[in-house]
Amino acid sequence: MLSKSQARAFFLGGTFLFGAIFVFLTIDTLRQNDTRTNAQNLTEDVLKGKEIWEKNNCMGCHTLLGEGAYYAPDLTKVVERRGVSWIDVFLDDPQAMFPGERKMVKYNFTKEEKGQVIEFLDWVGKIDANGWPPKPNIPVGSISTAVPPQITNNVVKVSQPEKFSQLCVACHAVGGKGGNVGPALDHVGSKFDVDYLNRWLIDPQVIKPGTNMPKLPLSDTERKDIVTYLSALK
Amino acid sequence: MRFQSQKVAYWFFATCMLLLSLQIVYGFIMGFARIGFDGLHDYIPFNTARATHTNLLVVWLLTGFMGAAYYIIPEESDRELYSVKLAYIQLISWVVVGVVAIIGFHFNWWEGRKFLEIPRPLDYLVVVNVLTFLFNIAMTIWEAKKRSTTQLVLFFGLLCAALLYLPGMIYFDNQTLDSYFRWWVVHLWVEGVWELIMGGILAFLLIKLTGVDREVIEKWLYVVVGLTFLSGILGTGHHYYWIGTPKYWLMVGGIFSALEPLAFLGMAIWALNMYRKKGKDHPNKIALYWTLGSAMMSFIGAGFLGFAHTWPSVNQWTHGTLITAMHGHLAFWGAYAMLVLAVISYAMPNMTGRKLFTGMSGYLAFWASNIGMVGMTGALAVAGITQVYLERKLGMDFLVVQKEIVFHFIGMLLAATLFTVGITYFIVDFIRHGLPSNEAIGKNVGDID
Repeated sequence: MLSKSQARAFFLGGTFLFGAIFVFLTIDTLRQNDTRTNAQNLTEDVLKGKEIWEKNNCMGCHTLLGEGAYYAPDLTKVVERRGVSWIDVFLDDPQAMFPGERKMVKYNFTKEEKGQVIEFLDWVGKIDANGWPPKPNIPVGSISTAVPPQITNNVVKVSQPEKFSQLCVACHAVGGKGGNVGPALDHVGSKFDVDYLNRWLIDPQVIKPGTNMPKLPLSDTERKDIVTYLSALK
Repeated sequence: MRFQSQKVAYWFFATCMLLLSLQIVYGFIMGFARIGFDGLHDYIPFNTARATHTNLLVVWLLTGFMGAAYYIIPEESDRELYSVKLAYIQLISWVVVGVVAIIGFHFNWWEGRKFLEIPRPLDYLVVVNVLTFLFNIAMTIWEAKKRSTTQLVLFFGLLCAALLYLPGMIYFDNQTLDSYFRWWVVHLWVEGVWELIMGGILAFLLIKLTGVDREVIEKWLYVVVGLTFLSGILGTGHHYYWIGTPKYWLMVGGIFSALEPLAFLGMAIWALNMYRKKGKDHPNKIALYWTLGSAMMSFIGAGFLGFAHTWPSVNQWTHGTLITAMHGHLAFWGAYAMLVLAVISYAMPNMTGRKLFTGMSGYLAFWASNIGMVGMTGALAVAGITQVYLERKLGMDFLVVQKEIVFHFIGMLLAATLFTVGITYFIVDFIRHGLPSNEAIGKNVGDID
């Protein structure tokens, strides 16, 4: 049976050997790091964004590269998923975008700070993370369901404006695609006329005080395009 | 208690009790926020509650380790502590730093790096503080006539824990490197040197409670801590799968994390075997419950549940979900919280001379808190598995999935209530023991050695 000195040798030898391997692998990891993380893209803005991220302890709720608090969504690929303009609007008043849902602190970032946070998240999203996060791999179609798939027989004559697909789809669905925070917009064109939709988009609160719909920063042209599109959804 | 200076441990243990209570309060704040009752959002938003909850855990466990060291080292060294005054100064400054950090969290003053949220200026104070502690312990050992393996392993563990705090203080521009070196602290602490501390404390308790020959216990101590480092150092790799580090970490981390349960299994088998070989019964059964319980629960929580989701092909789905929270709760409870409670249960009758272990409340504390914690882990497990399937496998929206698992958090809060009942019993017993008394010096209750 093992003697005490053999046991000690096992402890010291094992610690030394595996410690040495760990240091060696660390050196190699550092060597590869610049390429894997696109270190050349670490601009001033990205670094400022990281500072803002840490200063407000965003990881105390959110998760990044799978590390964090699991209370709010993982933001590794958020720029790819939501797009810059959506995040920009969201950060102004997070609760307005998800009314009645889990709360996020309103940080009152300046335009510049918002841009820096987005730059940082964009850089993180492009790190070579060995293919993480994986794409969902159980196709929804393979699950038998009592509910028939969404039937949309409306003929869309107008193509979806870019701004609509950046902002509105986060909460509203069209043809079964989009969020479910707000109502689906499939037949919105037959319910409301152009004038109403236009006034609604200018300031929802004026039309319906207390509504969950936030006032979105849309230019006149953008608003007009969206109204035209919505009117065509019959 | 053999030496007057061991009394200082009492104040560390009392601090532990206070911080543990506060940790539970913040746990409840988070639990209620998760089921939609977020009334404190404007004052204590989730990120504040979260930082406070986890940092309190770390601080109270470290306080417990320090208290344990101040209790164990004089006895193992067969002499008084080097300086009692220094120990009190160290405790007071430690508490001040802790309190300032916790209050700071409520005013957006932190470092924003998971588990290492304490702001940088306070980090320096922590370092000074820990060096003071280590100096006191080292001088006690240095001037002692007696050397024991238990003493040295415990000291080596504390020293490495202090050294490994340093990589967490370097600032990195690059998120990947930031994360890489943050795990040097977090992982190498809890799955490395803290296990060394745990082994040292367990060895001491087993020697005292079972009366098995010191040589036998200490031989196995080497084997257990050997297994810990053998698997734990490269096991750090399981944090390096998806943060931007090279692909070989998937293999390295996968294999060595799969070995990590061996250290905990070794710990459990060791403790149980020593108990089976015991010469006669120690009257302090409660301390024995916590000691053996810690060895077994650490195997289930840290060993087995950790193993359950660190294999890369599993981890790519479970990474960053409630599965991690599930494993974290039972791991910390079994390995470290129960161990600190074991030391306290063992030391209190010796320090105060009051034999409260004959009553019922000690058992109630043990069973209620353990069943409560297992219940919480179970609730988090079901919530976590549901989350993985709905969010990761099917691609449903994060917030939609969170609504689906609210029910399990209600279950978790119920289990947490039972847990709190247990801890309340423990703390009431702690208070009933009263202050350490000089009359108890030289009279250890029923020690077999």
